Amino acid sequence: MKKIEVKLSLPVVAPLLDVIKSTVDDLRGSLAAPSSGRDLDEDLREVWVDSLLVSQSGDCRTLLGLFDRDFFSTGVISFDETNAEPIVRACAAVRLRLREKYLKRLEDESLESGNIELETLPEPERKAFMCYLFLATIQELIIQHLDSSIIES
Amino acid sequence: MIVGQAKTTTAPSARAETELALQGLWHVVVLNDPVNLMSYVVMIFKKIFGFDEPTARRHMLEVHEQGRSVVWTGLREKAEAYVYSLQEWHLNAVLEPDEKN
Repeated sequence: MKKIEVKLSLPVVAPLLDVIKSTVDDLRGSLAAPSSGRDLDEDLREVWVDSLLVSQSGDCRTLLGLFDRDFFSTGVISFDETNAEPIVRACAAVRLRLREKYLKRLEDESLESGNIELETLPEPERKAFMCYLFLATIQELIIQHLDSSIIES
Repeated sequence: MIVGQAKTTTAPSARAETELALQGLWHVVVLNDPVNLMSYVVMIFKKIFGFDEPTARRHMLEVHEQGRSVVWTGLREKAEAYVYSLQEWHLNAVLEPDEKN
């Protein structure tokens, strides 16, 4: 089984985890992409949204599971074929909610290019943007190394 | 009674119209969002639709540059399943009727 281990800087990443956790809490009961199921009839929409919520919630649990006691002692997180897919999805959900909750003021173009001076951002935007970049980096790592495992699963 | 009779005559016709609409062809359309990474979108297109890399990239760029891309067209039930899968990956995907059919 293909596995990636990444050693992170604890002093840099640990302060971001509170923001990630609170964003995951915020996602409880609401979808990251709220328009989901909008073109369906009412009954089907309810089942549809509930099912997406279960999936989103499971993915977020897997993401938070990366930052367990081992992580706080070693700074290492690992990805393999079993957790790559839920983690990459959870990163997308949390990034969408971070954008909605903290980064709305930033222009789409700046956000897409990542061309934003971190020092110029006030708190809590600054920390939220760091989380946003950190989660994108996790996604890139997984896609670069485990793309085929996800596509074939 | 009269109201009841009127209902029994109009309801089947309305149902038939809905059924006809559902029987036509439907587009699965992915809309742009400024958050999801290009590589992520390409990966999802490859996984869900079985696209090769150039096709997945072409659709991703269409979404990025034109704001939308029709990624699949076919019967409603399968189109719904594709939209569900795309939304599970947090892409902004919608169903649209194919007006030509």
